[in-house]
Amino acid sequence: MSFFGFDPSGPKSKERNNDGGNKPLDFDDTYGGLGDYEQEEGDYLNAETFGADVELGNDFDFGHSESNQSGASATIQQPSHVHRSYVAAASQGVSSSNPAQLDTSIDLKPMESLWTAGEQEYQQEQQPQQPQVMSMEDIERQQRQMQMAAAAHQQAPSQQGFMQMPPPPHNFPMQGLPPQQPYQQDQPNSQFVNQYPPHMIPPPAMQGHPNQFQQMPPMFNHHQSQIPNPNQHYPQMYPTPPPNFQEHHGQQQQPQLPLQPPQPPQQGNGYSASPQTLPQPQLAHQQVSPPTTTQIQTELQPPAGVSRSILASPQSVASPRTESNVTSASPQPLQQEQQEHYQVRSPEQQLPVRNIQKQMQQRREPLTPEEQKRLQVRHAKVEKIMKHSGVMTPRDKDFITRYQLSQIVTDDPYNEDFYFQVYKIIQRGGIVGGESNKGSIARAYLEHSGHRLGGRYKRADIALQRMQSQVEKAVTVAKERPQKNKDNVEKITGREGVLGKISSAMNSKAPRRQLLIPSHKASRISNEDELQSLLLASSASPSTSSLDGTDEHNNSHQPVDAASLANVPALEDVTQHLGNVEISQNSKSRRRSSYAFTSVDQNSVLSRSGGRKFVLSLIETVYREVLELEANLRSGKEINNTLLWEALHVDDDIYEVCPFISMLTFDKGVKIMPRIFNFLDKKQKLKLLQTFFSELSHLNIIIISSYKTNPTPTDNQLKKIDLFQTVFLKIIVSFLSNNSNFIEIMGLLLHLIKNNNVSFISTSKIGLNLITVLISRAALIRQDSNRSNGLSSPEISAWNEIYDKLFTALESKLASVFPPQEYLDKVLKVMDEQQQQHLPHYNSGNSPSNVQFYDQSYIWQFLASLALSGKLNHQRIIIDEVREEIFGTINAAEELLNSNEIDKANATYRREKLYQDLNLFLNVMGLVSRDGEISELK
Amino acid sequence: MLFFSFFKTLVDQEVVVQLKNDIELKGTLQSVDQFLNLKLDNISCTDTKKYPHLGSVRNIFIRGSTVRYVYLNKNIVDTNLLQDATRREAMSERK
Repeated sequence: MSFFGFDPSGPKSKERNNDGGNKPLDFDDTYGGLGDYEQEEGDYLNAETFGADVELGNDFDFGHSESNQSGASATIQQPSHVHRSYVAAASQGVSSSNPAQLDTSIDLKPMESLWTAGEQEYQQEQQPQQPQVMSMEDIERQQRQMQMAAAAHQQAPSQQGFMQMPPPPHNFPMQGLPPQQPYQQDQPNSQFVNQYPPHMIPPPAMQGHPNQFQQMPPMFNHHQSQIPNPNQHYPQMYPTPPPNFQEHHGQQQQPQLPLQPPQPPQQGNGYSASPQTLPQPQLAHQQVSPPTTTQIQTELQPPAGVSRSILASPQSVASPRTESNVTSASPQPLQQEQQEHYQVRSPEQQLPVRNIQKQMQQRREPLTPEEQKRLQVRHAKVEKIMKHSGVMTPRDKDFITRYQLSQIVTDDPYNEDFYFQVYKIIQRGGIVGGESNKGSIARAYLEHSGHRLGGRYKRADIALQRMQSQVEKAVTVAKERPQKNKDNVEKITGREGVLGKISSAMNSKAPRRQLLIPSHKASRISNEDELQSLLLASSASPSTSSLDGTDEHNNSHQPVDAASLANVPALEDVTQHLGNVEISQNSKSRRRSSYAFTSVDQNSVLSRSGGRKFVLSLIETVYREVLELEANLRSGKEINNTLLWEALHVDDDIYEVCPFISMLTFDKGVKIMPRIFNFLDKKQKLKLLQTFFSELSHLNIIIISSYKTNPTPTDNQLKKIDLFQTVFLKIIVSFLSNNSNFIEIMGLLLHLIKNNNVSFISTSKIGLNLITVLISRAALIRQDSNRSNGLSSPEISAWNEIYDKLFTALESKLASVFPPQEYLDKVLKVMDEQQQQHLPHYNSGNSPSNVQFYDQSYIWQFLASLALSGKLNHQRIIIDEVREEIFGTINAAEELLNSNEIDKANATYRREKLYQDLNLFLNVMGLVSRDGEISELK
Repeated sequence: MLFFSFFKTLVDQEVVVQLKNDIELKGTLQSVDQFLNLKLDNISCTDTKKYPHLGSVRNIFIRGSTVRYVYLNKNIVDTNLLQDATRREAMSERK
């Protein structure tokens, strides 16, 4: 038995289905073979659905299962229906079978209405068979065929309706079941001959295939076996007949058999009542039925009539179902239905019928308007529920679930589910991956989909296991998919549309893009590169010639440098160590440009390093390489950073300004630096830092943080400075303190001094910090090695040389490392505004306590480290130059002492801080300042 | 897959979903699928006067295509990680 395509017997049905060529849906096609993964799934529900002892195979004996079912369903019987008409009971019966049950477990329990609906159709289709059994039937069939021919035109719409039924319920059983001749002969098939109204006669096409119909008898027999106790089989659908009727019915059942041509007039009419619900066939039926009934009346066998009238009730029960399924017409008002029912029945009552029948008819009649209204509501409700119920079988649902899973699940979570995976690792500190990942997906999916197994909290463990296995399968399917895509496109396109629009392109992974960027971007970039280099080359020659003067200048300086270097063999030694300190003449000219303030304009810097777009694309390339390297690191693969190194363009001489320096213009370029450093070896790091210090003047952040070039810093710029300080300075400090030796530090300092305007750099906070870092580290190493005598004399003399150069560059400009008061005020203002924005709840009255002050400690740190490395005469010069600042700071500290009481705590703190910073510098020279006085440090 | 991956991390977090018909629903994100269909629990409508019929709804399934915005708490998004994930996605597409 099957309804709506549900196939309880698994793969067998597939073979049987093969001969149904005219079916609207071919499950083999729609499944595409995926359903074969679990052929037996859902089988354990068969017992629940069809009874435990249903025999499979050719020998169908529905009597057993019937008795079981009737026993079970009888318990649900509702006595309240006893005195209601069949129609009322019918429509009520459907609804009374507990709507909740209907919508939740619709695929678990047999639906009585479905069964009857099936029977109805089986009865219809049984018709062509009867001629084979009896000669009398032949005559009738001829008559009927004549009627049919007459009604054929009117039937057309209703038949269409039948065709529209998604999976016509009668298809599967009909074709699937083997013929059982003995039953046909034993049982009075003729009983049904005229039960169906003419319009119910199967479409002519079906009659054209008698073979198909020969296979139907099992269904028919099945129905027959229900007859003895109809009230038990359909307890909710029609009332229990009175005892006497039951007895009578039981008695009459047997005599019925020999009576070959039973023509039930009431039956015919009784049926006619039910078809009324089918809007379109009504006319046809009413036109055609009269001849049938008259014919029947003559041959009427009362007992048969009784049983048939009972049989009629299932038909009427089925009618709402048929209506909703067969025709998509709007629900016909029940009242109208009833009226028609009465109309048709009225002739019935005139017929010579037995008492029982009359009684039953009387019972049908009384329907209070209230009841009718209720029925109507129920009817509508049931219809709503039934409309879309059973459209999908459990297998369908599983199939879809699996397909969805195959879209989601991946065996490469780090690549395709990167954010989630890493986020969870960061959040929980635990790794979600491998099997547990699949398990969690399965669990989530069970909860999510409210799957029939997991959703009901029954057999949840089994469901979980199955879901996990489905996930496994989905993964394998997903794995195989790429090859399939390439191999046979037709197969994929064939599957397309199974679940709406799932294309082989994997919508979920590669959703349609809003912007389609041409993919020949890379080639264009290379073109740009060529262009750029061409332009550079062409512009380089005139510029070098025109800049001969400056070059001359450089050269005149350079020989001095070279001479000084040559004069000091020790330093030459060092420079040899340093390797690439001597810059090629070619690049030297452009480096010289850093002395001029040409780098103030960020755009010009960018354009000189290949253009803004180029730099941004470089940053993305760097990110890509870093991500790849990180992925390799995670998966334990070998790490090769050559691509990353190339992407950094550190030793790229093509551009006037190194692209790497321009990368640091952007925040994201700065942010990636620590991650880059993880993958560089020491040599590369050193080279990178050499480049960095060489082109410090081009560095946007220096220009931003210098009060000279940027006297009015914005909030954004201050943030940038902060970011650079926290990110990049940290790297440099850690590199210098962990990896570098004295010579390398000297080399870096040399790069800085030789290629940059040191006095300008010293006006910027970042620049000053960088210099401080270098010289303080050098001083520390020198102190350490003084004790251990680790430094050779050439090294020390080289250091002295370099320090002298640095000091010369700074001499007479040391006071300018202190930003002017206007600059400080502006910075404080911006910081204040920013704070106001972030803390809008603080009223301005409290602001004095939160007042910002410009932290000048970095300046004192610089001076301290400068003094630390210098000799006494250096220190004297420093103090001479910054004397005003020293006293200014002391004065400021003493003034804070006299400030009003409101922010006393703050003032004391600031005073302490000022003295602390100042003493950092003074202590180097053995001095200390306290309470407005400078004394010698004891 | 990025957005699916992203929304998965928002499960059990409170979000505000604005639909394309201007309805705004606040609720706990229960689940999300690859079509970005959302399931919300304990929903409340920000404009109950205009949409009284949503007052009695506890949980809701939203088809992903009807969503206009999802408002998130800033703190539940790891922006740096999201940047990386975006780049990775772009990388894998380029391959």
